[in-house]
Amino acid sequence: MAAVPSPRARARSLPALLLPLLILVGCAVGSGTPAPTAPVPTFAATPAPTAVAAAFPVTLTDDEGTAVTIPSKPQKIVSLTPASTEILFAIGAGPSVVATTNFDDYPPEAVPLPDVATYTSVDAEKIVGLGTDLVIAGGNNFNPPASITKLRSLGIPVLVTYAKDVAGVLADISLVGKAAGQSAAADELATSMGAQFDAIRAVTSTATHPKVFYELDATSKIYTTTDASFLQEMIQIAGGDPITTGSTTNSEIALEKLIAANPEVIVLGDAAYGVTAAQVKARPGWNTIQAVQTGSIVGVNDIIVSRPGPRLVLGLLDLLRAIHPEIAPPAGLPSPVPAASPAASTP
Amino acid sequence: MPSHAATMAAPRSGPRLRTALLRRPAVLAVAGIGLLIVMLLAGVAAGTVTIPPADTIAILAHRLLGLDVARTWSPAQETIVMDLRLPRVLMAMTVGVGLAVSGAAFQGLLRNPLADPYVLGTASGAALGAAIAVILPFREVIFEFGLLHLLAFVGALTAVFVVYRLSRVAGSGQMTSLLLTGYAVGSLLAAGLAMAMYLSGAGLRQIFAYLLGGFDSASWVRLATAVPLVFGASILIMLRARSLNGLLLGEEAAAHLGVDVRRERAILLGLASLATAASVAVSGLIGFVGLVAPHVVRLMVGPNARLVLPLAALLGASLMVGADLVARLFGEIPVGVVTAVIGAPFFLFLLRRTRTGYEL
Repeated sequence: MAAVPSPRARARSLPALLLPLLILVGCAVGSGTPAPTAPVPTFAATPAPTAVAAAFPVTLTDDEGTAVTIPSKPQKIVSLTPASTEILFAIGAGPSVVATTNFDDYPPEAVPLPDVATYTSVDAEKIVGLGTDLVIAGGNNFNPPASITKLRSLGIPVLVTYAKDVAGVLADISLVGKAAGQSAAADELATSMGAQFDAIRAVTSTATHPKVFYELDATSKIYTTTDASFLQEMIQIAGGDPITTGSTTNSEIALEKLIAANPEVIVLGDAAYGVTAAQVKARPGWNTIQAVQTGSIVGVNDIIVSRPGPRLVLGLLDLLRAIHPEIAPPAGLPSPVPAASPAASTP
Repeated sequence: MPSHAATMAAPRSGPRLRTALLRRPAVLAVAGIGLLIVMLLAGVAAGTVTIPPADTIAILAHRLLGLDVARTWSPAQETIVMDLRLPRVLMAMTVGVGLAVSGAAFQGLLRNPLADPYVLGTASGAALGAAIAVILPFREVIFEFGLLHLLAFVGALTAVFVVYRLSRVAGSGQMTSLLLTGYAVGSLLAAGLAMAMYLSGAGLRQIFAYLLGGFDSASWVRLATAVPLVFGASILIMLRARSLNGLLLGEEAAAHLGVDVRRERAILLGLASLATAASVAVSGLIGFVGLVAPHVVRLMVGPNARLVLPLAALLGASLMVGADLVARLFGEIPVGVVTAVIGAPFFLFLLRRTRTGYEL
């Protein structure tokens, strides 16, 4: 019997090679990828001025353009993204949430709830078994599109949220509020968040915008924000000039490109994973970068910076502290800013 | 019937007798059907939500047999059994049959024990098709099938067709040429897949999920589409078991037996590829079953394709349904991982136990 090598051997090694990349996308997907560069409106005006809560049944258009009809005020809500979990709890719909994902970490009340989703799968059987009457899912492939189709085919309303930019987060909060029957609280939250974003933008707009490199990961290759992304917009609002990869889909940047861009501030989004300024300084080739020479290397809490939920203002303040330590945060903003020392760990 | 039982000396000791019995095709067929029924019932009865077995049986009796049973179950439980578990279990069975039969056919056609349903580029072709579908901005779903399923199906068949045509041009030593062409084309497609994954951005999760394979998106409509293709192709392969036996002896010997080698090989290749393509289009790439189910059966009944094909179908179906159940109970772990973890030790056990030399 001729021993011919099996082509499967090669095919099998491929997923293994790409696993690290997948994990990275898993981390970054909450921040979304491509977004059209539109003139940024002031956020205070974003939420629809319909103060009156829509009575049920209600038909809403979700972020993928699907018309979703919710027959009555949901009593059992399943949240399939950490951001929508935070939104639901922030607008007072927390008691109706019956299940979340196995990577939900905030608020503490949401953590012990049953898990019905992982990074790659959704357990439709459990969702049906819980008697779910509303599912909030993530778009842009956050949850498997096939699972969303399947839940809908079983008659469960699924609202897909996907915030392309910061204004989209505020719109999503209002949308989730309408779906969960907490419209007034949601609109109020969105309005106040919009005002806080505007207040921060007001203090940063007159400051110089240093070139900022936001490090998502640099363990093997270097990953940072893509062009026209959610993260890029956050850095701009916080008064920075983000160094991007030059692509809307690829998060990888070559070291020589980074050295040529010569960032003035390095923000460590991976600080929670133990990356420190000392480690960055010790990396070969990095000593020519201005931020390394001046020591402008600051850790932030990547979860609040990149998760499109109600804590985004805190994330923005964290970025502001990292990029402009000399600017005092505007008065009247939520505090305290969570400490984001390299020791700060995220569960 | 060339069962090995006949060739063995049969002293009336217990273990020998049991071995002899286990090598009888009729006994194996009954055991295989029994195993499959047990697996199907277990697959419907168990899951992440606990439903009392009595309720499961009552739901099945009510919905499938139309019996007038007193309702002791909730609508949610009925949905779980009828719309989630049953189509899923039947889909796993269908794909198990398709991969096991086409695996047995490819092994026989290529006279290579390492051959599996994916050997001639089907896997790479399907994966590349799926990856391209994820990148393209079309999200239309017709009849519960999206672009991903269509391109995976077309990609798998196209890859095999290209391999077949290229190997015919290459000429010398048909089987070796076919395998090597399959390897080369598969590598090229794998490179394309890597590039597509690199470009896919957030779509990477979806591509990765497809590569791992699974049955969590099974539905009645998808089942109704996959069943005729997979079972049709599998039955047609089984009807050509005589040709497959002839080809197993070598091309010249097959020709002497009156087998139209070129024609039969093309037909069998086409049918096996069709069963594989339909399977991978609905389930993604699930390895191991197509490689090992035929070998396990051959270890028990010998190389006769008339026995190997149907028994491999039964075993592949049972293995797949069981693996999917384990995957579900452990929180949607990849089915291919489970098939290997269950199947590989069993295969090694059988391989070590065989006293006579094993031949394809």
